[in-house]
Amino acid sequence: MLRIQLASFKAGARRANLSKPASSRTFTVARHGVLPTRSLLATTLPSRATPLRGLYALKYLSPPLVPSAVPVRGYAEASTKFSRAKPHMNIGTIGHVDHGKTTLTAAITKVLSNLGGAKFTNYAEIDKAPEEKARGITINSAHVEYETDSRHYGHIDCPGHADYIKNMITGAAQMDGAIIVVSATDGQMPQTREHLLLARQVGIKRLVVFVNKVDQISDPEMLELVDMEMRELLSTYNFDGDNTPIVMGSALAALEGRNPETGEQKIVELIKACDDWLELPARDLEKPFLMPVEDVFSISGRGTVATGRVERGIATKGAEVEVVGLGAHFKTTLTGIEMFHKELDRGEAGDNMGALLRGVKREQMKRGQVIIAPGSMKPITKFQAQIYVLTKDEGGRFNPFMAHYRPQLFLRTADVTVGLTWPEGTTDAEEKMVMPGDNVEMVCDLVHDVAAEVGSRFTLREGGKTIGTGIVTKVFE
Amino acid sequence: MLRVRPPVFSSLRLYSQFAENPSLKLVAQLRKLTEVSITKAREALAASNNDVSAALAWLQNDLAVSGAQKAAKLAHRAAGEGLVGASVLARGTGSGAGHGGVRAALVELNCETDFVARNALFARLVADVAHTAAFLAEPAEPESDSSASSSIRHVPRAQLLDAPLLSAEGPAPSPAALSSHGTVADAIRTAMAKLGENIVLQRAAAVAHEPVPRTRSELGLRVATYAHGQGGAPLPPSQAQGRVGALALIALKSPRLQALLGASEFRGDLERVERALARQIVGFDTPAIRGEEGALYGQPFMMPGGALEGETVEAGLGRWAREKQLILDTDGGDTGGIQVMEYLKWTVGESPDAT
Repeated sequence: MLRIQLASFKAGARRANLSKPASSRTFTVARHGVLPTRSLLATTLPSRATPLRGLYALKYLSPPLVPSAVPVRGYAEASTKFSRAKPHMNIGTIGHVDHGKTTLTAAITKVLSNLGGAKFTNYAEIDKAPEEKARGITINSAHVEYETDSRHYGHIDCPGHADYIKNMITGAAQMDGAIIVVSATDGQMPQTREHLLLARQVGIKRLVVFVNKVDQISDPEMLELVDMEMRELLSTYNFDGDNTPIVMGSALAALEGRNPETGEQKIVELIKACDDWLELPARDLEKPFLMPVEDVFSISGRGTVATGRVERGIATKGAEVEVVGLGAHFKTTLTGIEMFHKELDRGEAGDNMGALLRGVKREQMKRGQVIIAPGSMKPITKFQAQIYVLTKDEGGRFNPFMAHYRPQLFLRTADVTVGLTWPEGTTDAEEKMVMPGDNVEMVCDLVHDVAAEVGSRFTLREGGKTIGTGIVTKVFE
Repeated sequence: MLRVRPPVFSSLRLYSQFAENPSLKLVAQLRKLTEVSITKAREALAASNNDVSAALAWLQNDLAVSGAQKAAKLAHRAAGEGLVGASVLARGTGSGAGHGGVRAALVELNCETDFVARNALFARLVADVAHTAAFLAEPAEPESDSSASSSIRHVPRAQLLDAPLLSAEGPAPSPAALSSHGTVADAIRTAMAKLGENIVLQRAAAVAHEPVPRTRSELGLRVATYAHGQGGAPLPPSQAQGRVGALALIALKSPRLQALLGASEFRGDLERVERALARQIVGFDTPAIRGEEGALYGQPFMMPGGALEGETVEAGLGRWAREKQLILDTDGGDTGGIQVMEYLKWTVGESPDAT
């Protein structure tokens, strides 16, 4: 019998939550105040966490992967039941303040509520966008949800660039797709460039454009111009300008229930365009297997067992796996899977399991490594990352820092010292300063290799406090 | 706003068309030149017989009227984002012919979202307004250099708004910029019309000093600026822009000052230490220069390659002055060296203390 220390309380909600993406998890957290047991935010501030979360924070000091990673574990309110029959995706509205983002959001919920896919959220409710203090990090965004025939959407409406970036890095509100709202009377604005740049920066590959207020335009030819200019601009910023759906309508008409040909019907068309054009993020179970190693045991007569919580994918008994990180990079065979002191044939995302590995010595393995499907991830030591530096109110540093700063980097269960420098070609790199509250793109040099890829999230800590969180954007070596 | 014209019947179209309908191409062209809204571009072309240069002139005139209306409409909206921008026209002693004066300004302009704050149009406006404020600064009396009243003075907003806007990029801006002439207030209104957000000149301050007289050649006065958290392309320190900005007045004293300033290597070192000081003021929570808890001189000096581990700003400056021979042991008791005289630090959106 394998003796594996598994925290049994973790396993309760496992099956029920298997396929929920990480982004929707935090979304749920934000909406219902459900206790998150393994989110980035929970791990960033263990000292402030509840005892339960604190325990977890010790075990899992690293954030999940984007866009989706580890399922939620927690307790939902009994009255609300989240159906996961439909795939979930997060969508955001971006646009100029006067172009009707909020009206559009309200109109979507109105139209869909008529079809039974949403609760009507009126203008005032969306617009007040409460500043949430999600586990110490201030998140400023309103959350709305709705569902279509084929999908469930979480809808985000953030007011500014810095807020979006922060949400993206912390994983608090990941956007998988976006609706750019442009008024037909103004056309694109000078700052529409900044909107598209932001969408690029947060990794959105496809957009849908809604040209609003068409009822205020006397000459339909001008709509052609909006269309033309928009497609040109989209192409400039490396979006698929030719094929991006552009829907022209009036959100206000839809909200007020008049002129269905520019109102309601156009909203339906817009939602259809979202369903058809925006790509769903991959689900955890569909991804290659990955389990971070938390602990390693030597079981006499059996061999070496590594324990951890499967972050994504499925592994079957007898499968070939790879151990990567902290100097190791070798293949072995998964000869046994154990959970609750019972043997299993299969381990999948969300499972806390023990992996019995063939021909591996206890000394070859340590906490911080990962067990993965062969070839699915590489050990890296140098990469570029987008980092948000916590303000002192969020428990971060009081003072600025400069290049060559060396905090501890926590990625999943790994804990490695990292040197931060500016990307090559940065002007005045030696004199550039990072202040608490900044979003920066920096190069991270690790003293040991860890398994990571573009999209891996990590936290930075110094002297026992979390000073920043980041996401890998480019791998060097 | 609503322009009623007789519709011309067309058998193939469901919609009525205007006879002198400006072509899409021209509207697009005009928009590329001016970044005005589609409605406005169309109106301008219609009013000027589809002649682009006439339409530009029409827009120029129209912005005075409709820009003001638009500005009035937006004026009540909260503007909590924006930029602090600096402009340095003269760095002080050692610059120019060796006896340069000091002339610099710091301004804060607010807008509604940080998307606009990151836009090049807004950044240019901030640079121009800062440039104008620096240009207008009244020199302080030379005698009062180290005493009593502060040298960095607030510029009354009304005064700056009425001043003619001077472009930071020098004269001869393109006519399409639509801000080639007019006051600072006009330029702000034009930007509001284009960007569709409320834009407010929150505050401005400037410093100007005549060159230190030759009879007191052991003294020098310099100005340093730094701004942090700017979104767009990097700017030279003399035009720094960001969410937090600082302007510091720095004094030098040494019997060898003129000789030292003659060497370009020393001037480079001096500028580096000045930048470090301005950056220090911005980066740390700096309530005062000395005395108080957390004051500048007590902070750990963040000078790349220059400061020792754990060294304070005061100690670091002292050591620097000795290393660079501003102070020699043979100078006797008379203390010289480098000192921060005054500074101003602004953060975008903090409580306004406008004059």
